[in-house]
Amino acid sequence: MTQLPTPGANPAEPPPAEPIPPSRPARPRWRETLGLLARNPTAAVSAVVLVLIVLVALFDETLAPDGPNDQDQSIALQPPSWSHPFGTDEFGRDILSRVVLGAGTSLRVGFLSVAFALVVGTLIGLLAGFYGKWVDDVLMRLMDMLFAFPAVLLAIAVVAIRGTGPANAILAIGIVYVPIFARVTRASVLGVREEVYVRASRSIGASDFRLLTRHVLPNAAPPIIVQTSISLAFAVLAEAALSFLGLGPRRPNPSWGLMLADGRGFIEQAWWYSVFPGLAIVLTVLCFNLLGDGLRDVLDPRQRTLTAGSGR
Amino acid sequence: MSDVLLSARGLEVHFPIRSGGALRRTTGAVRAVDGVDLDIHRGETLGLVGESGCGKSTLGNALLRLVEPTGGTVTFDGTDVTALGRRQLRELRRRAGMVFQDPFASLDPRRTVAQTVSEPLEVHGLHGGRRERTARVGELLELVGLDPAVADRYPHEFSGGQRQRVGIARALAGEPDFLVCDEAIASLDVSVQAQVLNLLRRLQQQLGLTLLFISHDLSAVRHVADRIAVMYLGRVVEVGPAEAVGTHPQMPYTQALLSAVPVPHPELERNRQRIVLRGDVPSPAAVPSGCRFRTRCPQAFEPCPDVDPALQPVGPADGHLAACHLHGVVGTPVSREDDVPEGPTPGDAARAPRDAGRERR
Repeated sequence: MTQLPTPGANPAEPPPAEPIPPSRPARPRWRETLGLLARNPTAAVSAVVLVLIVLVALFDETLAPDGPNDQDQSIALQPPSWSHPFGTDEFGRDILSRVVLGAGTSLRVGFLSVAFALVVGTLIGLLAGFYGKWVDDVLMRLMDMLFAFPAVLLAIAVVAIRGTGPANAILAIGIVYVPIFARVTRASVLGVREEVYVRASRSIGASDFRLLTRHVLPNAAPPIIVQTSISLAFAVLAEAALSFLGLGPRRPNPSWGLMLADGRGFIEQAWWYSVFPGLAIVLTVLCFNLLGDGLRDVLDPRQRTLTAGSGR
Repeated sequence: MSDVLLSARGLEVHFPIRSGGALRRTTGAVRAVDGVDLDIHRGETLGLVGESGCGKSTLGNALLRLVEPTGGTVTFDGTDVTALGRRQLRELRRRAGMVFQDPFASLDPRRTVAQTVSEPLEVHGLHGGRRERTARVGELLELVGLDPAVADRYPHEFSGGQRQRVGIARALAGEPDFLVCDEAIASLDVSVQAQVLNLLRRLQQQLGLTLLFISHDLSAVRHVADRIAVMYLGRVVEVGPAEAVGTHPQMPYTQALLSAVPVPHPELERNRQRIVLRGDVPSPAAVPSGCRFRTRCPQAFEPCPDVDPALQPVGPADGHLAACHLHGVVGTPVSREDDVPEGPTPGDAARAPRDAGRERR
């Protein structure tokens, strides 16, 4: 009954007078999140670079100086110059154009495979975490089985069964990431489902579907968002690896991984052939990773209270 | 219509204790609620008191099936709550609301006040259109003393007392007959406690609510309750009119509990007699045989370990019951062979074992 001030309490914030409603205007969570993100320079720069890369991929036809498959044997394996800033390959194709056009392939495979893993994995994790008991056991043991395979081996197995091509590369990479999303989601849901507000919603008669979609998933989302960003990095890398092994998109369509593979044979005569697609991969992967780290900080509720307390 | 709105008979919530490992054998049970008989009359406030861990909250949750009872029956307005199907259970939860202890935890941080308060309306299809719902949310906020203009704000913008008002508005949205207030004022400042208590009293009179007021705070309970039930280790051990229980407790445990309440008068406070109980509350996983209070009871005598006491009329007041052999040995003898005190209790036959105490429907 006695109300002693706890040492953890913030003494700078006086308790608001009871009957007076607070004056701060309502502000949606996502706006607050964006604001915090803008104050994290690394994450903000990464986000901007990623937006640029996506724009390049969207307007690749317009931006690319030459067609991706325009061959000109007379200028084969030319070093970077003003007319061909990234040089040319063994068929005299402009590498800058091929890197620009390859962005679409790499990002499409990355986004779609992560989207697949996100939807399937989150659903599995949500059900396993929320219902527990045998549902949890069955679903998570299945995920463990997927986890037990080395990622590349699993992807190769999928491609071996279904054949090569972008669609199968997407499926293969997606399946590899399903158990990761399932685990992250389950762990987050396990915490959220015990929250009093979930019980409170149950107490007014809300259905399981409503609890899951309105309360559990939104509150369990932050780690899943972070995982999405980091997985995108790995998916772009995985696409490159599969293409490198010849299991992804097929020639002559440009893909960063394929270019890396083809450039390998000319590494001594023409370093630019593999270096520029490689740099494109590095930049994309790095930005997704840094954005993921930034989101992790921003979405951490402790971080939120800290900045909210000092920022007002 | 009968006078009793809600009644529990032999209500049990046992949580299984499982050993680790893949096979997860059940090695015992925590008997959080262990054979509770309780009637709540229409329109009254029943105060439920007891130490922490005695099963008060579990009992409150079990009455609304937020925790599945493992045995016994609960009857709400003539229908057996323990046998309800999904749809009937939803209707029960419209007619019976709950106010939670911690107003900082009981509101979804990602939903506005309006979304939180209108959720029961959406779930039960009340007040059809969006506009009517908005109007109803405004009414509800006004009813609990909040400005309807705050509807679009998020919980973190409110103080504890204001949040608790939002929680009460949510509980009232479905126009319930019955409200369980589970330590509803325990985590508020003293001045705010009084405000919320008065709000609850006003709402009860205004809306004709029946309240189950769960608290460990005896003075608060005496302030609001018409009748008081005292719980010890999963069982109701004394129940009666608030005045009778508050001034003439008949069970040694209640006497000890009451003697611990400070008196707001320096001289009386200095000279007041206190009954100090020795030892800890026994674990609800290993309940003593016979009378469960006997291990700490200053007046324990011969029959206490051997006979599980039943509630019996005591004292001069009408409807004052206590489970204590000091008022005559009434109850079920314990069979001595049982090493684990698994004493049969009245109403055992009605208590068909159901699924283990699960957290959700």
